[in-house]
Amino acid sequence: MNNSSTVRRLPMTVLGVFFLAVMIFPVYWMVNSSLQDSSGATTRDFFPINATLTGYAKAISEQGQNFVTSLLIALGTVLLTLVIATPAAYGLSRFRSRGLNVFLLVLLITQMVPAIVIANALYPLFNNLFLLNNIFGLILANTAAGIPFAVLLIRAFMGSIPRALVEAAMVDGAGALRAFVSIVVPISRNAIVTAALFTFLSAWSDFLFALTLTSTPEVRPITLGIYDYISANTQDWSAVMATAVLASIPAALLLIFAQRYIAAGAVSGAVK
Amino acid sequence: MRTAQKRTGRAPKVAVAAAALILPATLTACGGAAASGTESPNTLTVQDYLDPSRDPLYQACAKEVGVTLVISHVAGPGLIRKVLQQSSSRTLPDVLMLDNPDVQQIAESGALSPLSDYGIRGEGMLPAVVKAGTYAGKLYGLAPAVNTLSIFYNKEMFRAAGITTPPKTWDDLRANAKRLTTQDRYGFAMSTINTYEGTWQFLPFMWGNGGTEQDITTEETVQAVQFLVDLQNDGSMSKSSLIWSQDDVIDQFIAGKAAMVVNGPWQIPALQEQRDVQWGAFTIPTRLPTQTTVAPLGGEVYTVPRTADRAKMAKAGRFVQCLVSPEQQLQTAKVAQNVPTTPAVAEQAGRSNPALAPFVTTVQNARSRTALLGPDWPKAATKIYNAVQLALTGKAAPAEALRLAQGD
Amino acid sequence: MTSANLSLPAAAGGRRKIARMRLLRRATPWLFCLPAIVFVAMFFGYPIVQNVVMGFQEYTTSTFYSGEAPWVGLSNYATILSSYLFTTTLVNTALFTVGSIVFQFVIGLALALFFKRNFPLSGFLRSLLLLPWLLPLIASSAVWKWLLDQESGALNQFLGLFGVPAVPWLVDPTLALIGVIGVNIWLGIPFNVAILYSGLQAVPKLLYEAGSLDGAVGWKAFRHITWPNIRPVVSVVIVLGVVYTLKVVDIILGLTGGGPANSTQTLATDAYNASFVEFNFGEGAAISNILIVVSLVFALVYLYISRREPNE
Repeated sequence: MNNSSTVRRLPMTVLGVFFLAVMIFPVYWMVNSSLQDSSGATTRDFFPINATLTGYAKAISEQGQNFVTSLLIALGTVLLTLVIATPAAYGLSRFRSRGLNVFLLVLLITQMVPAIVIANALYPLFNNLFLLNNIFGLILANTAAGIPFAVLLIRAFMGSIPRALVEAAMVDGAGALRAFVSIVVPISRNAIVTAALFTFLSAWSDFLFALTLTSTPEVRPITLGIYDYISANTQDWSAVMATAVLASIPAALLLIFAQRYIAAGAVSGAVK
Repeated sequence: MRTAQKRTGRAPKVAVAAAALILPATLTACGGAAASGTESPNTLTVQDYLDPSRDPLYQACAKEVGVTLVISHVAGPGLIRKVLQQSSSRTLPDVLMLDNPDVQQIAESGALSPLSDYGIRGEGMLPAVVKAGTYAGKLYGLAPAVNTLSIFYNKEMFRAAGITTPPKTWDDLRANAKRLTTQDRYGFAMSTINTYEGTWQFLPFMWGNGGTEQDITTEETVQAVQFLVDLQNDGSMSKSSLIWSQDDVIDQFIAGKAAMVVNGPWQIPALQEQRDVQWGAFTIPTRLPTQTTVAPLGGEVYTVPRTADRAKMAKAGRFVQCLVSPEQQLQTAKVAQNVPTTPAVAEQAGRSNPALAPFVTTVQNARSRTALLGPDWPKAATKIYNAVQLALTGKAAPAEALRLAQGD
Repeated sequence: MTSANLSLPAAAGGRRKIARMRLLRRATPWLFCLPAIVFVAMFFGYPIVQNVVMGFQEYTTSTFYSGEAPWVGLSNYATILSSYLFTTTLVNTALFTVGSIVFQFVIGLALALFFKRNFPLSGFLRSLLLLPWLLPLIASSAVWKWLLDQESGALNQFLGLFGVPAVPWLVDPTLALIGVIGVNIWLGIPFNVAILYSGLQAVPKLLYEAGSLDGAVGWKAFRHITWPNIRPVVSVVIVLGVVYTLKVVDIILGLTGGGPANSTQTLATDAYNASFVEFNFGEGAAISNILIVVSLVFALVYLYISRREPNE
């Protein structure tokens, strides 16, 4: 890209920054509030002139462990979800049968059920399996919740993989599984990364399962940790916002990192 | 050949589906006390939605009874859900705190044990408090300290407007509110939000005038709703009261944007901390000077759930008895800024804390929300806040709004 | 002769081998799907069945302890359908869903198309666009409540610069619905942008190059090249979008709690209220069953569309 084309595209950058500014103004407000004193909602200034870091100090000192818990849960969920969902997406995209269509419909139906119905039904189940107050329990719950979406998403992208590719591999003697692992998965990298992104973000911001399936401070994701600052009589908004800002950072980093992988087109290269 | 394949094809699918449905069902059904029973016999589990400032009170009683405690503070709105889950999995805590209007429903389910089993009868306590914790003639929960509603007012604003005595009737209140309303502030603020909090704030006006929750379409309740509509139409009360919680209302007061607010004594710590407003409190006015202020009874009670361990339940009973003893009442009142439930102790608290005085007076005549309807109170509460909102948004006139909300 | 003798047992073995291979081929897709099927059945099957059954029972706080939930047949459904609020709730749900999806999708697609062009910082800006989606909902709803506050909210102060009087965003019944839809659109744009962008990236550049030779650029290129190729992704985004929007509870509860005067009450928030505020779980389950049926109609539409897709 030569200099003149870069310069010519600068107005687009300006426009892009403008769109972004409008979209993330509330995020700015969140950061703004985190730096101001937590007295009443009515006394917040536009700019944090008298910036104070007490909210952050509190958040960092008290929420450290919750942070790690959230991270473990989110990463575990992504791993487990992808391992289960990618083959299922392939199965559904490549083959057609009435039974598989029923399964597809079932997957869609699972997305229609309000999360709270699921969470409440899981409580007695987990109680009997000793999965309450347990990181693995939350990983399982989040995985179960994330599988249908991951399958549907990846399947939509896999639909454009030419049959010729896979069949060529199988003619060469590879079994269906090997063809899947060595051909389909690399080609679907785009879709898999996108699904991983959404799964991570969902698990990271899950509040309902955490609320229902845990009750001890040892296993408390950061979404629950925020509630420490909102009790019946006191609302420490600066700490709440500081925690929210800190909680957004890993997700934001992940986003920036993952976008690079979604950049390249997938299938076009492989056909050649 | 093909039929054979079809049969083998279908059977595993059906088997998988059946197993997958039956398996979780059985796992859910059997089991039960899987998570509890791991503490020593001398440890009690205490569950509430309060903050850790109450812990010293619990520990004091724990020492007296000779037990150790495992305290669990659940975030407010999640407490009842947790209690329900624990009910079904039989993992209820040994001592359970409940918001007083919730006692009826939980007691009705059979999850609580009567306090009379432990010799607790609530002697010397306010009759309304005892009534709040009683279901089907048996006492299930008692509160060490309770609260209610009064009006906080801005002393400087009153002085500036030349108001020397607090309003005693609705007409006085309306006139004062109008006088106090300026470009930058409203004369009056309260919460009419669409939750039980909004209902709670409306009750002093409804009950003070003689309205009843058994039939909200009576003239007395209509007048109460009309009064709020009048205040709003005068411009003395902001339309935002529809979305304000009680905390939002106090924020408005502290920021100097409202001259009079309806609120409770738990706000006193926040009020004492700030330096911008000089404040006082007075009892909520009634429509006629002959009526008495009847405000709702707020506060949390302690109960002893039915668990499998009778010995622990007995210890829990002694623990609760300690929590509601006069000394503990005084301590609780200090920590929570509430009013002790034994009138003599309440008077003492009122003397040592003058800010509490109007609340002490109002509590003596306070009424429990579940007194008339018992476990059916939540339905009525919903109808009340729906009606108030219908009227304040102008969707229906007060009488019509109440009729619509009451339904059938 | 010898070959015929030899071939007979070989043929029999061969036939068995072919049969086994055919079985394996039939079973392959199921084997790929098996872990997912087990997970879904275990974690969704039971709750769904329980919810359907609960809709026919009188399930209250007592049930949790005593286990008794008397069968009341269709009485819960009758109560819901005859309530004065049912029409309002239904209309609100429709407005909320249609309003959210239309704008989320259109704005999302526009932004995705915009960011597809390579300009300095495009990657960075694009990734930051997803920020709204990863904020804890309690923080976002609190912030929006402040921004939309009638007296001191930033939005009204901004509008005030142009002489617009204070707008009662969350207080006036009509405006509250618009406000809530607006915030939901804000929340949903990142989801749409991310997926649509991925879909746009998957369209082979060859097609555009070939098309431009024929004079298909700009709007024509979009209509004849881009749109047909992103159709599968678009249908996923829209159908899932509808299904998820129908379920939305948190943001509405955080902003208005369903009020004022039930003007932002949708089927989902009503179900939540019935179950977890009034503890009438039977009614709550019935309302959520109605919600699931509405979603189901859309899902059937999706299956129909995806079956007709060209499979190149």
